[in-house]
Parts: sequence; structure tokens; C-alpha cells
Amino acid sequence: MTFAERMLRIDRRIIFLLIGLCTLLPLLYPVGLAIKVSPEVRSVYDKIESLPAGSVFLLSMDFDPASKPELYPQAIALLHHAFRKNLRVIAMTLWLPGTGMAAEVISQVADGMGKVSGRDYVFLGWSPGGSSVVINMGQDLYKAFPSEYFRHEPTKDLAVLKGVRNLRDVSYVVSLAAGTTGIETWYVFGKDKYKFELGGGCTGVIAPGLYPLLRSGQINGLIGGLRGAAEYEVLTGLKGQALAGMDAQSATHFAIIVLVILCNTFFLFIQRSRKQADQR
Amino acid sequence: MPFETLLGAWVATGLTLFILTFLYKDNPLFKLAEHLYVGVSVGYTVVKTYDTVLVRLIYMPIAEQGEWSLLIPIGIGILMLARYFPKVAWLSRIAFAFIVGVGSGLAIPRIISSFILKQVEDTVRPLFYAVEGGGVTFTVDLMDPASNLNAVVLLIGVVSVLFYFFFSVEHTGPGRAVARTGILFLMIAFGAAFGYTVMARMSLLIGRLRDLIVFADPQYGRPSLWLLLTTIGLLILWTTRQTERSPDGS
Repeated sequence: MTFAERMLRIDRRIIFLLIGLCTLLPLLYPVGLAIKVSPEVRSVYDKIESLPAGSVFLLSMDFDPASKPELYPQAIALLHHAFRKNLRVIAMTLWLPGTGMAAEVISQVADGMGKVSGRDYVFLGWSPGGSSVVINMGQDLYKAFPSEYFRHEPTKDLAVLKGVRNLRDVSYVVSLAAGTTGIETWYVFGKDKYKFELGGGCTGVIAPGLYPLLRSGQINGLIGGLRGAAEYEVLTGLKGQALAGMDAQSATHFAIIVLVILCNTFFLFIQRSRKQADQR
Repeated sequence: MPFETLLGAWVATGLTLFILTFLYKDNPLFKLAEHLYVGVSVGYTVVKTYDTVLVRLIYMPIAEQGEWSLLIPIGIGILMLARYFPKVAWLSRIAFAFIVGVGSGLAIPRIISSFILKQVEDTVRPLFYAVEGGGVTFTVDLMDPASNLNAVVLLIGVVSVLFYFFFSVEHTGPGRAVARTGILFLMIAFGAAFGYTVMARMSLLIGRLRDLIVFADPQYGRPSLWLLLTTIGLLILWTTRQTERSPDGS
């Protein structure tokens, strides 16, 4: 057996170990590689930056703990930015398994920035129906969510929702989505009908499918995966989890590229050797 | 540190390590974590649904605010349960008919508008336009990538991919070249999707490893270290017992 053949039959667990080390070592010893901010991430940042204090910003955290590594840092960065701009924040989720996590992220960031539930922000929790919830909110927000999540206070009495009747009164909506129900639902049943500005954040897996919406202007910006979260952290000046993970991401991508090139080289080498052997 | 935080750290670390053991091979530790994940998810969903739907959206508005109109959707919803009783199972059709009717009515026009008409509108972009007094002006400048160059790429991509999926004509001669171009565009799209998927999966690994690093801290009692040693020990024990049972190790 030649060296190339042995390499192509290498135990897959060695590759797992290599990828594991490429991820672990940069996390332990970060080097701080430079991060370039993409226009689609900057669009979301610029939109929030352009909103005057007191504007209503709705963040829908449409993901569950399985997507936490990618979308949790995005949620932290966006909430940080919104609270720093003194926007009135409405947080919610269309994904039932993500309710506890969404409650944790909003209360954690709000507490850290001295914001008060009911006055500066409200967490509405989850309501069944997916697209029906968006339609319901477009007609009457208080019917879709009669009470808030933490203390079950009636939403009609909350200072943060003063002057807000439905989605038409929301200045900017961002959906952080791990699939459907998510950004597409907010566009189809929300923005297209109730005419608010919509941005998105998503996992890497669904990002390619959302670029057509970005190009056509159906969403104004898109934060894609952990990389997008890191870009947003660069813009906000927040040194968060996403930035810390970027060295590891780059190292693993580099390792995968090298492995793909090596495997193809070995494969072509074997093919050529076999052809030469057949000719003899 | 609160007890629940410590307990959470130990449980999260243990389950992460148990799941990662699958990379070695399928084993009882992985199965334990997998079944726990399914059980906990279902339990959480049942409890949250009960609390949100039955208590907050049904019981509280009726009992505290007297919103008796809610009994209509509740009645329609209850009809679904008729499926469990064969003699009155037909009643569930009323509920399903309501859901299908309302759902289709809401979704079809909105989806056609959002995903077909808007996308077609964005795809059909002019490459040139007529100017007053005769003549045309091109929107594309080959020397300037910032001009409408993407429209040309989009035109070639859309036409060639659509032609590739047009099976009524044999792909020979010039048609073959167009179809091959379509395949090229498809391959680039698949590559981009795969690249993003790799990035997403690596992000998940980064998230778990970051937690393991955090939980290796003495303030948590170093669960990462102790549970790693325990997991490796249990795996060795399990592998040894497997080998003893079947000498070929299968």
C-alpha cells in the first residue's frame, strides 16, 4: 500500500482529533485575527444606530438551545446596542424550546445595563401559532400577548409599550432565526403587510437561503452565524463570545481546506498511478 | 456560587462529554445523553405549553377578564380530540377544515407575493435603457465591478440553471454548453451552502468547547477535568467488556 493509499484510509477519529485540537488551542491561546465587517451586518448596525432614543425595537429570538453558540452572541450584541441607544426593547420568541434561554439573555443584558423590565424593555415570551402570532401582533399586540413573561403583568399597563398598538408602531424588527418559523415568517406575514423595517440574524446553515431576501431589499441586513455575530461585536465594541471564537473558527476552516486539498491530491495521485500500471 | 449553577455546570459538562463520545463509536453513554435530551425537550415543551396556552391564554383571560369569546376557538380545538373516539371522529374534520381553510387563505397570497413576485421583480433588472432623443445607455461597465455587473451574472445564472432543468429538449450542441453553465452555477451554490454548513457546525463545537473550558475553572469544582477522566474510564471499561463478550470486538 502506498503512502497516498494509507492516507486516504486513515482512521476518521484522527481527523476528529485534529479538528478538535484546531478548535481547542485557539480558544486557549487566542491570537486575535483581524475581522472585516460585511455590508449586510453593517446595515443592521446602521439601522439601529439611526433610530432616535425611545424608538421601539423588536427582537424575536426564534431559536432553541441547539443554535445557542451562533445566535446567543448575536442576541447579546443586538440587545447591548439597543439598550445603549436607549431604545424601547420588545423581546419575544416564536420557538417554544427557546423561551427560557431568551428570557435569560434579555434579563442578563438588561440587568448589566441597568434597564428595568416594564419601563425600558418587555419580554413577551412565547405564544402558539407561529405565523398567526405575527398576524395577530400586526392587528393588536395586546391580544397576541395579554401579559408579559416574568411577572404576568398586563401588557396594556406597561410604560415601555406606551403608544404601541401593533407592529405598525414598531420602528425596527430583527428576527434571529435557526429555521422556520423565523425571518421568512416575519417577512411574509409581518413586514409585507404591516410595513415595518426588518433585519435578520441566522445560523450559518440557513444563511445562503436568505441572501435572495437581502438582495431584493425584503430584509435590510443579515447577520450570518458566529462570524456575523463577531462582526457585530466589532461594530459595537463589545468583546463577546463570538470574537473569542473567531480564531478557532479560522483555524478549523484552514485545517479543513488543507485536508480537502491533501485528500484530492492523494486521490489524483492514486488515479494516475493506477492508469500508469494499466498501461504497463 | 449558587448550588443550581454548580449542578448545571456539572450536568452540562457531563452530557457534552457523553455526546462527544460518539466520535469514538456508538456507546451507552451517548445513548443515555441522547435519550435524556429527547425526554427533557418533550417535558419542557409540555410544561411550557400548559403554562402558556392553558393558563395564560385561556384560563386567565376567561376567569379574570371574562373573555368568553375564547370558548369558540377552544371548542374548535377540542373537536380535534374527537379523532380518538371512532364514533364521533368525523367531528375532527370540522377543526381540520377550519385550519386548512384559514391557513391556506392566509399563506397562499402572501407566499406568492413574497417569494415569487418579489423575487421575479428583483431578478428582472435592465441591462440597458433608452435615453431621450434616441439611443441606449448600458447599466453595465465591464471596467467597474460596482456597476450593474451582478445583473449580467444573475441573467446568465438564472437562464442557464432554468435551461438545465428544461428536459423537453436534448442538451446537445449549444444547449449542452448552456446546461453545463447551469451545472457550474448550481455547484457554486451547493459549495456556498456546504461552506456555511461547515462554519455552522464548527461554531457549535466552539460553543461546547468554550463551555468545557469555562467549567474547568476551580470555582465550579473542575467538572470538565473530573468528568473527562470518568468518561474515558467508563469508555475503557465498556470497550473491555465488549471485547470479552465478543472476541472479534464487534
